Amino acid sequence: MYTTGKHLLDVQNVSMRYANDKLALNDVSLSVCPGEFVTILGSNGSGKSTLLRCIARLQQPSAGTIHFGDHDLTKLQGQQLRRARHGLAMIFQHANLVRRRTVIANVAAGALGYHQTIWTALGALPRTELIKSYDYLDEVGLTHLAQQRAGTLSGGQAQRVAISRALAQRPRIILADEPVASLDPQAAEDVMGLLRRLATEDGIAVLCVLHQPELAERYSDRIVGMRGGQMIFDITAKQMGSHDVAGLYMSQAA
Amino acid sequence: MTSGASSTALGHPVAASPIILIRRIFIGLVLLAIFGQALWMTDARPGELISGIHGMLDILGRSIPPAFSEFPTVLQPALETIDIAIVGTACGVVLAIPLAILAAANVTPAKPLYYGARAVIALTRAVPDLVWALLFVTAVGLGPFPGVLAQSVHSIGMLGRLFAEVIEDMDMGPVDALRLTGANRAQVFTHAVIPGVLPSLLGIGFYRLDDNLRNSLVLGFVGAGGLGFQLLTAMNLFQYKTVSLLLIVTFVLVMLMERLSAALRRRVA
Repeated sequence: MYTTGKHLLDVQNVSMRYANDKLALNDVSLSVCPGEFVTILGSNGSGKSTLLRCIARLQQPSAGTIHFGDHDLTKLQGQQLRRARHGLAMIFQHANLVRRRTVIANVAAGALGYHQTIWTALGALPRTELIKSYDYLDEVGLTHLAQQRAGTLSGGQAQRVAISRALAQRPRIILADEPVASLDPQAAEDVMGLLRRLATEDGIAVLCVLHQPELAERYSDRIVGMRGGQMIFDITAKQMGSHDVAGLYMSQAA
Repeated sequence: MTSGASSTALGHPVAASPIILIRRIFIGLVLLAIFGQALWMTDARPGELISGIHGMLDILGRSIPPAFSEFPTVLQPALETIDIAIVGTACGVVLAIPLAILAAANVTPAKPLYYGARAVIALTRAVPDLVWALLFVTAVGLGPFPGVLAQSVHSIGMLGRLFAEVIEDMDMGPVDALRLTGANRAQVFTHAVIPGVLPSLLGIGFYRLDDNLRNSLVLGFVGAGGLGFQLLTAMNLFQYKTVSLLLIVTFVLVMLMERLSAALRRRVA
């Protein structure tokens, strides 16, 4: 169904059952290739955010495997998990920047995982990373804000800085959990365009949870539909018109 | 639906029903009774205050004019009072921060440490600084040092609790985001937790400095140095003109510290 070649991320038969016995994910399988932009669509409670959180190991799936590069993320702990996470960046609905630090310090903090020294543990940032961070800020077009406090940014700017921080992590995939949900339409286009460019030009895979089918169609290579914890379609963006996308959002409670 | 016509959209009663009225009168009577027994228990006799007022006026008369000529000799104890507050607060802050981290439910490394830290905070706070001062005076003798120790220990309790609350209320978004980049525990702490809470902690610290300055005056009364000790000595020797000078200096110091503390808090906010 999807492009052949070596998968970067390979989710196989993942299920997630909460303590209250609710089945949030039911046997979900999904693969992402390098440089591919995949969007997950679905209504609230469809399990799409849970899937992303399981991949980032913010939650431990109750069954299945999640291969990223050479590792099965579900089997890793502690130091190994931290190292495996280097290649896997995540952005959220909110930028989650440290508001009182400068923009450039926020970006450079994304690379801390590569520099586990006494000095960084005491709050210092490596000079080399601060210098490189200007390049990452340049990628999102915000070098002129480098010395401003992150708390002074607009929502769209903050989200672009968050992407810049993700780049400092030098990721092979960016997981984006509703990255434009709290942005105005223009800022949303900017952020989606930026993610698209990172996928096309830098070969960074993007796995993005969205609520807007229209944005998904324009920016993604592939679109995955989820409903009630199950994957109900996995199509290319071009096939989008022929699918019943509205069905994703029909009430299941009725 | 059930609140019906007597309620507005927000549920406030428009007209009180007889039951509500009777309840209010009852509550009023109970409060009055509590206040009455409190007056009785505290042996309140306003008559004696009025008949004894000439004694107070006599002392007031004897304390005017203040002995301004002694001003230079007051400077050293005044500085001592300020310094007790500064060292006491600084030590309190430094000791309270690690304790607060252990006592904040969201970042504490282990449950036993959480309960241990909570216990230390409760104990140091429950015992008044005056009692700590008495204890330390017997241990290290008269002077400013027992005052510093008393303020440090009491501040640990006061600050530790407030600091822990700040840490518990902190925005965890940046913390989780940094943890996900592969940063280790110490890095997440210094790069996300500390910058997130430091302004609030400093603000509380400066507020404590203001409190400690006023408290350090009282500590002088049990021999822990500073203006309070001078005040006690002058009163024991019936030097009321010196007493009034000391009170003026105290008043100015407290006012200045209040202003300084407020200004510093604004700066870090």
